[in-house]
Amino acid sequence: MITLEKQRSWFEQQLAAGSTQSLRQTPQWLKLVQKEAVEAATQLPALNRKHEAWRYTSIEGLLRNSFTGDEQAHRENQAAVDNLMLPDFDSYRVVLVNGQFNAQLSTYGDLPPGVRLESLRTALATDPDLLATCFGSTANHTENIFTVLNTALINDGLFIHIDQDVELPRPIEVIYLHLSEDQQFMMHPRNLVVLQPGAKATLVEHFVGATPSRYFHNNLTEISLQQNAALKHYRLQDESRDAWHLSSIYVDQQSHSDYQGISLAFGGAWARTEYHLNFNHEHATCGLSGLYTVGDKQLTDFHLTVKHRVADCRSREQFKGILYGEGRAVFDGHILVDKDAQRSGAQLSNDNLMLTRNAEVDTKPQLEIYADDVKCSHGTTIGRLDPQQLFYMRSRGIDEATARSMLCQGFAAEIIDKIDLQPLREHATEILVDSLKRVSQPEVGR
Amino acid sequence: MNSMKPNTMLSIRNLTVDVDGKTILHGLNLEIGKGEVHAIMGPNGSGKSTLSHTLSGRDGYQVTAGEALLDGEDLLALETEERAHKGLFLAMQYPVELPGVNNMTFMRESLNAVRRARGEEELDAVSFIKLVRARAAEVKLDPKLLKRDVNSGFSGGEKKRNEILQMALLEPQLAILDETDSGLDIDALRIVADGINALRSPDRSIILITHYQRLLDYIEPDFVHVLSEGRIVRSGNKQLALKLEQQGYGWISGEEAA
Repeated sequence: MITLEKQRSWFEQQLAAGSTQSLRQTPQWLKLVQKEAVEAATQLPALNRKHEAWRYTSIEGLLRNSFTGDEQAHRENQAAVDNLMLPDFDSYRVVLVNGQFNAQLSTYGDLPPGVRLESLRTALATDPDLLATCFGSTANHTENIFTVLNTALINDGLFIHIDQDVELPRPIEVIYLHLSEDQQFMMHPRNLVVLQPGAKATLVEHFVGATPSRYFHNNLTEISLQQNAALKHYRLQDESRDAWHLSSIYVDQQSHSDYQGISLAFGGAWARTEYHLNFNHEHATCGLSGLYTVGDKQLTDFHLTVKHRVADCRSREQFKGILYGEGRAVFDGHILVDKDAQRSGAQLSNDNLMLTRNAEVDTKPQLEIYADDVKCSHGTTIGRLDPQQLFYMRSRGIDEATARSMLCQGFAAEIIDKIDLQPLREHATEILVDSLKRVSQPEVGR
Repeated sequence: MNSMKPNTMLSIRNLTVDVDGKTILHGLNLEIGKGEVHAIMGPNGSGKSTLSHTLSGRDGYQVTAGEALLDGEDLLALETEERAHKGLFLAMQYPVELPGVNNMTFMRESLNAVRRARGEEELDAVSFIKLVRARAAEVKLDPKLLKRDVNSGFSGGEKKRNEILQMALLEPQLAILDETDSGLDIDALRIVADGINALRSPDRSIILITHYQRLLDYIEPDFVHVLSEGRIVRSGNKQLALKLEQQGYGWISGEEAA
């Protein structure tokens, strides 16, 4: 088990290894934030089985490895990016190579007025005062040692700021390209997304790395949606199957704002996504959806904390998983409805399709309700492929592997169909189908 | 093994089948010629569904003796999908819902799998859509149902028509229609029967498994068989079905005993 001592020594080691990479020109206020976060880290508990939020997700494997920052992260790999381009996907494209913004590979020249899309490094240098107002306004820097590392080792990320009533005509596409051959790199991108009142945008994040490269991607994204703002936020995690991936997403919503988060997780040896969402003003809505597939030597974890602090907000959380081989998944969805949050609506569901006996899911939907006039529900299912369905398809001439894949795609369709960008939906389907090809020894329930 | 008459489509000899350790079919014999329509009737529990499930290769049906040859080929040695490739089609009593699987995609996958197995070229999306629309019109299936998930939320009649549509697409040599009439009102029954009649041809044999004579008013069989306790106990023409309708199944077992 991870002891406090072990955790601290790993933390110190990564902090030292990553510091060579930190920003040259750090504004004074940021230095202070970083100093405080690092100091607070000494008080943080160990992330082991005794820690409720980490009970089923061991960090032992991660802590057995050490990582360094990539000194040459500015390198270009046009071929890799070309390979990732979705056909007919018209976007403002930003590429981060090993966590650092890469201007040569990025193409977003024709942004409309009122939109800022730039590297965090640039924004900190040119507009430190504006950044001081939004940095850390939604995130908890000291959630755990990983958010502290992200804060302390900031060297890049994105700053997205959209002015009042501006609607982005095309999605912003962020590609996190991970190139890690001989060394084990770590990257801690930090993103700030601010949508001013009435602004509307779509953000697509794409995390990629070629198997078998080993690295630790640890991003932290802060999203602030002001009144009537709307953000659609797609995340496609297709990391190397030997990588560690941690995403911490913090969302604050003002009145009548809408956040739709759709997260697809296919890659990584160890991948965890945390959503921390707060309703700060009334009549805001959010939808969090996710799909995960896990096979041998993979663990995927989704942790949601949605806080209905005020009245008349709606949230819908729907996550589905397909597990095979010895794959492991963790789902922990926590919805809090404060006593003043009357007329709240929350629906939480997690469905898991187990293709093998050795796969494992630990699922924990939690509704914590203090208001008395609410509509809330939660449900969890764990099932297997239905032998009657397989027989029906085979009796129509469809071979078993194809039938199984079609049924799994059918199971996933509810999530995939939420993607309203066709090239992205098709790409996600391709990755899903590829992932299902790894299913070698199916077992069917009786 | 290939001692069948040249115009025989299906030859079942001494077929003995166990389900959960209990013998359900006791040495069943049946010959079906090309182009013929046979009705198999019988009381509940007589083994009608066991016969159709065994022929289509469902798990859990243990063949302990006998054989079934489709066009001279050992049917029981084949996987379920291979039986479909060889031209066997089973229209199910309870067509299965496939949530999330688009009806059109399902049928195209099915038809192309069968075409591949027969060494024919696959149909591209456009040709397939044309074909499936034309066939759907023939069986009076609302084209909107093609865009929905397979059988999901379909009415009883729509599910049965969807089965007949698949049969029309796959053009099987031997179709087994398992209680296709169950749960249908008279209008739906007529539409389904019309669809089946349209598929009658000299190269296609049909087995109608049914509990009631009613279906046979619309689809006239060449032969009627009565299944009882896992054996064919009586065979005749459609007059046999009428007699069963009037007198029930009791007299058959009575005569057997006598």
